[in-house]
Amino acid sequence: MFELFISNPLVLMMIEVLVICIKVVVVTLVVFSLPLPLTYIERKVAGHIQVRLGPYRVGPHGILQPLADMIKLIFKEDIIPYKADPWLFKIAPIIAMVPAFAVFATIPFGEKVTIPFIDKEVTLYISDMDTGILYVLAIAGLSVYGIILGGWASNSKYALLGGLRSSAQMISYELALSFACIGVVMVVNSLSLVDIVRAQSGWHWNILYQPLGFVIFAIAGLAEINRIPFDLPEDEGTLGAGYHAEYSSMRFAFFMLTEYVAMVSMSVLMVILFFGGWDGPGFLPGIVWFLIKVAFIIYVIIWTRFTYPRYRYDQLMTIGWKILLPLSLLNILITGLVVI
Amino acid sequence: MNGNHYNLNLKDILKKVFFVDLIQGLFITFNYTFSKTITLRYPDEEKWIPYRRFRGLHTLNRNKEGKELCVGCELCQKSCPTQCITVVPMQDKTGKGIADRIAYRWEINLLRCMFCGLCEDACPTEALKLGREYELANTSMQRSLWTKEELLAAQEIPVEFDGGVIVRARLERDDKGLKVIPDMSVQKRWW
Repeated sequence: MFELFISNPLVLMMIEVLVICIKVVVVTLVVFSLPLPLTYIERKVAGHIQVRLGPYRVGPHGILQPLADMIKLIFKEDIIPYKADPWLFKIAPIIAMVPAFAVFATIPFGEKVTIPFIDKEVTLYISDMDTGILYVLAIAGLSVYGIILGGWASNSKYALLGGLRSSAQMISYELALSFACIGVVMVVNSLSLVDIVRAQSGWHWNILYQPLGFVIFAIAGLAEINRIPFDLPEDEGTLGAGYHAEYSSMRFAFFMLTEYVAMVSMSVLMVILFFGGWDGPGFLPGIVWFLIKVAFIIYVIIWTRFTYPRYRYDQLMTIGWKILLPLSLLNILITGLVVI
Repeated sequence: MNGNHYNLNLKDILKKVFFVDLIQGLFITFNYTFSKTITLRYPDEEKWIPYRRFRGLHTLNRNKEGKELCVGCELCQKSCPTQCITVVPMQDKTGKGIADRIAYRWEINLLRCMFCGLCEDACPTEALKLGREYELANTSMQRSLWTKEELLAAQEIPVEFDGGVIVRARLERDDKGLKVIPDMSVQKRWW
């Protein structure tokens, strides 16, 4: 009876849907809670680089500091400026946040695993699109709308300038970023992220074949996620706090969440495109290698934040248009010549 | 824009292309990441023990036989710029002090005291000394008025102890307030 029930096509479909739903919920929850440890790590690394200790009082070695911060942010007053556009002001953080999460729909975290006891094969990604990398780049670029709208709706000069800078920066660096990805795509011959990772298995990591592409991707990626040395949209020295100058409470938390999720997704993308995804020595499961690599890249991003000063705005534009863009075109040319 | 007349030789160009300076910068901050912190974990875990020359809470000393050195000469009271010391002398034949005159009352109002140390300089018998106790915060103004009996009591940090180190400490909370209790056996040099 049970055999009959389990082989019913309708039931099979239901199980598939259920599995996808569970995956979506798990990924969303994990990504949603990631900024908590990341803020802690960032503050700890910052502290130790500056020969301080970082958070230390809340819990042992300050481990509960992010929770305290979260509670503080929830209970703070949610201020909407008198002259702001209330509707846009409210919706902007959501517009910024949703694409940051949507990116994770195609991110593969590992190969198929078999869940014990029920013998069901589950893939460690929500979907394997044929044009996965295109989807990721397109959706990641959407996040900037939230930032611009937030800056515009605040009706504040600093916020507007922050939003403008962000859009200009995004346009300049999105090109170089996409061209760097094209190099990878030419080597691998597929746009699917899963295929890209599979093609790199056995230490054929793309960083060995695309060193120039990797450098361009790393620099443009840093600029895409508004991290130092390219965090012009939230330049404290000249813009107060940049595009989220007028935001407080949970809306500000959403913007911060977006930034951290963008950092994670950029690191994940870098691992998938250049560091072979879940490929690694066999003694650990693939997903562990994947997470180790992602953690390392996140650490490097935080590390650079507290090492380098910020670029000037004209320098930012010069690097984007005069250096990275021609270099990425050159990279495509070289790759094309070698591949053919 | 004719500003870019740098004489770039090959070495400089290569340095720029391979981010040599940036990577050197990264290594500097990496070393600092694992260097010793300068943060003093003051009330919870560590406490700074000052040198002997430190001017903290006043102490009234006794000589080796345990007799009070203070003879109630009132010089400290007269030398005090903020007039925070009150001395009332009295005759005493019981031998509590080194002479037949001791202080009947010796009070200091720490709310006014600026720890200049002039009283210490004025003291002819070296009875008065500014000690190393510096946690003087109170919840009531009344408790900033220190009397002779409290000041005659032995201080937490012995005089023989050199100071100038950080020692292990622990924070104790009770009804009276907070207290940081040092543990002299575990010492650490200042950064």
